[in-house]
Amino acid sequence: MVFSSITFLFYFLPITLAIYYMVPNKFKNFVLLLASFVFYFFGEPTYVLLMASSIVITYIFGRLIDKYQGTKYSKIFLIVSLIISVGLLVYFKYANFLIENINLWVKNKIDFIYVALPIGISFYTFQMISYLVDVYRKEAKVQKNILKLAMYISLFPQLIAGPIVRYTTIDGQIDERTHTMQKFALGVRRFIIGLSKKVLIANVLGELVNTFSASQEMSTLYYWLYAIATMLQIYFDFSGYSDMAIGLGKMFGFDFLENFNYPYIAKSITDFWRRWHISLSSWFRDYIYIPLGGNRTSKLKWIRNILIVWFLTGLWHGAAWNFIIWGLYFGILLIIEKLFLQKILDRVPKVISHIYTLLIVMISFIIFSGESTKEILQNIGGLVGIGNPLVSPESIYYLKSYFIVIIIAIVSATPLLKNIANSKKIEKVARTLEPLFLLVLLVVCTSYIVDGSFNPFLYFRF
Amino acid sequence: MSEKTRNKIIVIGFVSILFIFFIANIVKKDEQISLTERRKLAQFPTITFKNISSGKASEDFDKYTVDQFIFRDSFRSIKSFWSKNLYRQKDNNGLFLKDGSIYKIEYPLNKENVKSSAEKIKSVCDKYLKNNNVYYSIIPDKNYYLQSDYLKIDVNEMQEIMREIIPNVNYIDITKDLNLEDYYRTDLHWKQENLENVINTINDEMNIESKINTIKNEMNSENITNTIKSKMNLKEAVNDYEIVNLGDFYGAYYGQLGMKVEPDTINILINDTIQNSIVNNYEKNSTQKVYDIEKWKSSSDKYDVYLSGATPIIEIETNKEIENENSSSNKELILFRDSFGSSIAPLLLDNYSKITLIDLRYVSSKILDNYVDFKNQDVLFLYSALILNQNVFK
Repeated sequence: MVFSSITFLFYFLPITLAIYYMVPNKFKNFVLLLASFVFYFFGEPTYVLLMASSIVITYIFGRLIDKYQGTKYSKIFLIVSLIISVGLLVYFKYANFLIENINLWVKNKIDFIYVALPIGISFYTFQMISYLVDVYRKEAKVQKNILKLAMYISLFPQLIAGPIVRYTTIDGQIDERTHTMQKFALGVRRFIIGLSKKVLIANVLGELVNTFSASQEMSTLYYWLYAIATMLQIYFDFSGYSDMAIGLGKMFGFDFLENFNYPYIAKSITDFWRRWHISLSSWFRDYIYIPLGGNRTSKLKWIRNILIVWFLTGLWHGAAWNFIIWGLYFGILLIIEKLFLQKILDRVPKVISHIYTLLIVMISFIIFSGESTKEILQNIGGLVGIGNPLVSPESIYYLKSYFIVIIIAIVSATPLLKNIANSKKIEKVARTLEPLFLLVLLVVCTSYIVDGSFNPFLYFRF
Repeated sequence: MSEKTRNKIIVIGFVSILFIFFIANIVKKDEQISLTERRKLAQFPTITFKNISSGKASEDFDKYTVDQFIFRDSFRSIKSFWSKNLYRQKDNNGLFLKDGSIYKIEYPLNKENVKSSAEKIKSVCDKYLKNNNVYYSIIPDKNYYLQSDYLKIDVNEMQEIMREIIPNVNYIDITKDLNLEDYYRTDLHWKQENLENVINTINDEMNIESKINTIKNEMNSENITNTIKSKMNLKEAVNDYEIVNLGDFYGAYYGQLGMKVEPDTINILINDTIQNSIVNNYEKNSTQKVYDIEKWKSSSDKYDVYLSGATPIIEIETNKEIENENSSSNKELILFRDSFGSSIAPLLLDNYSKITLIDLRYVSSKILDNYVDFKNQDVLFLYSALILNQNVFK
């Protein structure tokens, strides 16, 4: 079930909210657990058992790691539990990718396995790993109630598209959290803004991306339109989901950490990754990069550590080479920036560092969304006008047709609107109109969903 | 407004919208079809273990909730409004409204498809029509007449491609005989009552002397059968035909666009020949009238009034016993056609004793001689640019 669906908005959410707020506090976690399983079951009826099994395994190993804390067994239990968790992820997500690549080198071809990727497995596996490691490191208190642990892992607002919520972030909130009108209203604000980002911007730009992909009439202008639309679509889709997750969390009393912080105003790639999918990059930092030695090691090992982390970051996004190249592309750029480029970027006018970052990120998302090497090279080459006219009737038409949406998207990707709304001159008017604005957005989002407009789920490969 | 009040309004507004629509959707009776969109609506899914475990039940439920959403048409209008007026998008789901008329983007010209269509026509000519006078014409889609920067099929290039592949078939250019007013505002089709110039050009090119405005016809309202008369609102007689206004017509584009647009009016042209002709439908093994009033009353597509809508092969025979002087010709016509042909065919009846209508989309060209006796008939391939641009001939 996706948030931007009628099933979620007008069936699942009102029923869940009603039951959640009607039952006494001691049953609220159970209601959320039940709702989360229904939510997951609706989209992945068979894999709900896989998730349940993973939860039981995580619970048992968490208890064992805690029980044998300080002994070698604790470490053994941690390693075994990580092997199981990562093993399941590898089996369901990467097995066919591995087989495909092994088959390139061997005579006796291995048969592919017929298994679909369980939605959200990358997110909940990472949450389980963070929990187990944190218990081992004594950074988190072991959860002795399996239902509460199950509720944390399966919590529907963040289950299928993140953010990756660490156990330590909501440990205290599982047992004690506040439900206030102010918090609920904050949640509604974030949810509607997120829904609008997804439905009114990302999906609309997704149509342009699809039209481009189906077109035979290429031109330099069209390649640029595609690249910009792709870049904006991915950001608004992803950050829209995160906003909805954070908003839903607040409606149910939780405070999740922010996952995006205006990444397109970054002045370097290093800065960009501090602002983009923060929960993922911090996860890799804390559970891979630092354990490998981070930067407190020789330069060569430091480079190795960065490349390992970004190889894995790429791979996490999908079992395909373009994702690995995408990750390594960022890894190499981060190394270059840390070695010398950052110093130069600090000295040049801001506009140049912004353009540099945006161009690098734009090309990265062409790699990210490409179906083949040929297509990726074609789409990058098209930006510099290789073998195509500058404009075509189709590109001009779609530039005119999507111009306003692109401008709205670009402006909304910066803090400009927020700053204007908070400026003293119009703060009062903005605040008065805010409720109306939000409710109108909700109605318009509903109209787009009812119309059956383009509504893809980009995380099916995550 | 205090922070507290704002929070209250936001929460109450949000929760109210969620719950009101939740309850309203449960209470609302499910509908079988959408008249505006002209399609069946998804129904509540069948709940079986297999459907649930495969995820089909969930998918079907998602479709069901969207299709059966209360005030669905109004919500679709809101979307269209937002897209058109706020985003200033040039089209909504590929359709756009301009000067009160709805257009659908058909773009680009698919040269390969046009070539395939032309090759199919060529193969029919080679196989069956060596002894016939064969003609073809292309009906431009209405976007052709739109003077603007909207994307549209290049009909001129389409003509060139067709000429290259079937150079020996006579081409009848009707592009100059039509303009925007000759098409319905809410539909893709042309209006039967506006086809005078097209008919005259076809008659000229095919060496048929009679012209639509010179035929002596004694047609008046008394000639119309009482049945039809009682069902129709007779208005005015023009030339040799009586124009009968059947009523409002919301075309195929209307429902797809999802915006309020004034309906069109559907008219049928009647004269003695048409009144006395019989349509033989070999697929259904039935006979019917040229204008299918029952279809007009019951079908979601009112355009089906013309020859009962899409059919692979039908024959229209003029009634020899009571036909008038002008239709006494024993000549026959084979009309390869699409839906545009349904409305023009009745106007060609005065010149022929029989017209056989073949739609190559629904019958394989390889087996045509099982159904049609190819003799020395006149032959006209009359297809719209929209159809030729797709590779749909069998």
